[in-house]
Amino acid sequence: MSSKSPRRSIGDLSEGTLGLLMLLPAILLLCLIVVYPVGRLMYISLFDWRMSLPNAVPAFVGLEHYIYALTDDPKFWDAVYNTVLITIITVPGALVVGLGLALVANLPFKHRWPTRLALLLPWALPLVFAGLIFRWFFNYDYGLVNDILQRLGFGKVLWGTDPNLAFFTICLVIIWKSSSFMAMILLAGLQTIPRNLYEAAKVDGATSWQCFWKITLPMLIPSMVVALVFRTITAIQTFDIPYAMTGGGPGGTTETLAMYIHKTTIDFLDFGYGSALAMLMFLVSLGATTIYLRIIQGDKE
Amino acid sequence: MGSVSIRKVVKSYGAVPVIHGVDLEIREGEFVVFVGPSGCGKSTLLRMIAGLETITGGEIAIDGKVVNDLPPRARDIAMVFQDYALYPHLSVRENMGFGLKLRGTPAPEIEARVGDAARILKIDHLLDRKPRQLSGGQRQRVAMGRAIVRKPKVFLFDEPLSNLDALLRSEVRTEIKKLHQHLKSTIIFVTHDQVEAMTLADRIVVLKGGHIDQVGPPDTIYNAPATQFVAGFTGSPPMNFLPAELTDTHIRFENGQSLAIPDQRRPRGLPSGSRVVFGIRPEHVSRADGAAQLDMPVTLLEPLGSDTLAFLSVGEREIVGRFVPELAPRPGETARISIDMRKYHLFDQDHGRAVGSLDG
Repeated sequence: MSSKSPRRSIGDLSEGTLGLLMLLPAILLLCLIVVYPVGRLMYISLFDWRMSLPNAVPAFVGLEHYIYALTDDPKFWDAVYNTVLITIITVPGALVVGLGLALVANLPFKHRWPTRLALLLPWALPLVFAGLIFRWFFNYDYGLVNDILQRLGFGKVLWGTDPNLAFFTICLVIIWKSSSFMAMILLAGLQTIPRNLYEAAKVDGATSWQCFWKITLPMLIPSMVVALVFRTITAIQTFDIPYAMTGGGPGGTTETLAMYIHKTTIDFLDFGYGSALAMLMFLVSLGATTIYLRIIQGDKE
Repeated sequence: MGSVSIRKVVKSYGAVPVIHGVDLEIREGEFVVFVGPSGCGKSTLLRMIAGLETITGGEIAIDGKVVNDLPPRARDIAMVFQDYALYPHLSVRENMGFGLKLRGTPAPEIEARVGDAARILKIDHLLDRKPRQLSGGQRQRVAMGRAIVRKPKVFLFDEPLSNLDALLRSEVRTEIKKLHQHLKSTIIFVTHDQVEAMTLADRIVVLKGGHIDQVGPPDTIYNAPATQFVAGFTGSPPMNFLPAELTDTHIRFENGQSLAIPDQRRPRGLPSGSRVVFGIRPEHVSRADGAAQLDMPVTLLEPLGSDTLAFLSVGEREIVGRFVPELAPRPGETARISIDMRKYHLFDQDHGRAVGSLDG
């Protein structure tokens, strides 16, 4: 074998070594764009580094920022509360709306592309634009929603001033925006369900409603988990839509964790504390992902 | 319980007709096999009985009740699909009990009926598995079990054996036949395999191009085919065909060779000089001493063990004979071959119908 030819070729390497070699470019890339920034973030979070102070020099403070955030910062907990509330309202909301859209898009229309295009458009729209569009929709003086309400004989509503209404409109827009993403993943899942399962169920005595509950929904669970994982992670990081619609107001009642981090770091230039907050959000996302992955793996066994 | 009437049934997809007015009466407890090549409409017809395809024209009745507009669940039928269509997220037990559960059958009765069916099919040790943990043959049994527990009026089988390997196929075929003798229910079975049709059926329905070519018990289909198509579809290898001309006493082939017609088998209603297709099955081509003999060059032998097939030339044409291995001719020689003229068939050259009243 190799003893006869002095030159070693790449084929002589063991499968493990060769595999590692081939993965190296990907590993390096991941280190560059994931490991280094997260590591740097964690490092900065251990320092008091406020660019707003003249001649600021980073000073090591250990876990002080974390302790402060978790025990002594009501604004942090308000932001966490808002973020969690947005997540638990908009993620299931988008799942239900998205499922409905996917079912409609999966109907045997002669021309499917109009429904599918309509499905894609909200997803293709940049988040900030969506926020701005709906900010105008819900504007007190010249918004479309108040105009319709008035034409129907109701009074104008202060959408942006009432904390509950402001929160409600934000959730509505997030659901509208994210349900198209849900619908696309669920539509792909729907199309993998074999048609003859429905035929077998119909012969077995199922109504269309029973087909949906007994065949469609259980067969769609893997796609739903995938959609939920992605959607939950982005929901935890909600920023653009409330930023564009309310800027966190009125009085911080719609400020999310990502907005609080942005304000701390970019507006107040408190890099150390902002980094600590970002680390906390990273850990929450990591936790949510781990839970979902556990569910998927548990389902496979 | 379980008769099916198909009256002038037509099916079109848009402007394309695929079933052209089929009439068929299936008696209660009968095992009927729809057989024919791909695209003959056999599966479409079955799916119309099931209610999975709409009926364009005519009517289908189950037990005298017209079911044209009834959904599948109201027809009291069960179906076994070609690729089984088991519910992948349910266990074998849940798969089999699915239909009963939908109908609100009490849990203890579901359990008992699933248990009975599982015992009959010898799958009682698999009840807690998921379909993906089963082999092809086991899935096939579960699909049958799912049909059996329902105790429907009619069982519909849509090519249920075509995904099994050859050995398993003949095994399951035997079991389906036993099952029918045990359950005594009406079965409509679709296949493209003439061996399945011959071995299983009480009556075979041969379909071609969306209409019925012949309906009859297997021995009638085999021994008295109504058309050249039916004759060529049954038997392995199928019937040999040679274009020929009829004289008063002989059948003369294109190369001038001829065979004497015995008096008792003279074709009726055909004038001398009629152009026909002469048909003879391979097993009626032999080396026995008979009245009708031809000298034929042997081009090829195919030994099968129990028999040997010999390919014999008749002018430009070729026929196959089935011989006892010891008596098979040798390739290259010109052998004197006997044709059993008690068993020949004649078909019209234009439309392929059997002519000359030669039944049996």
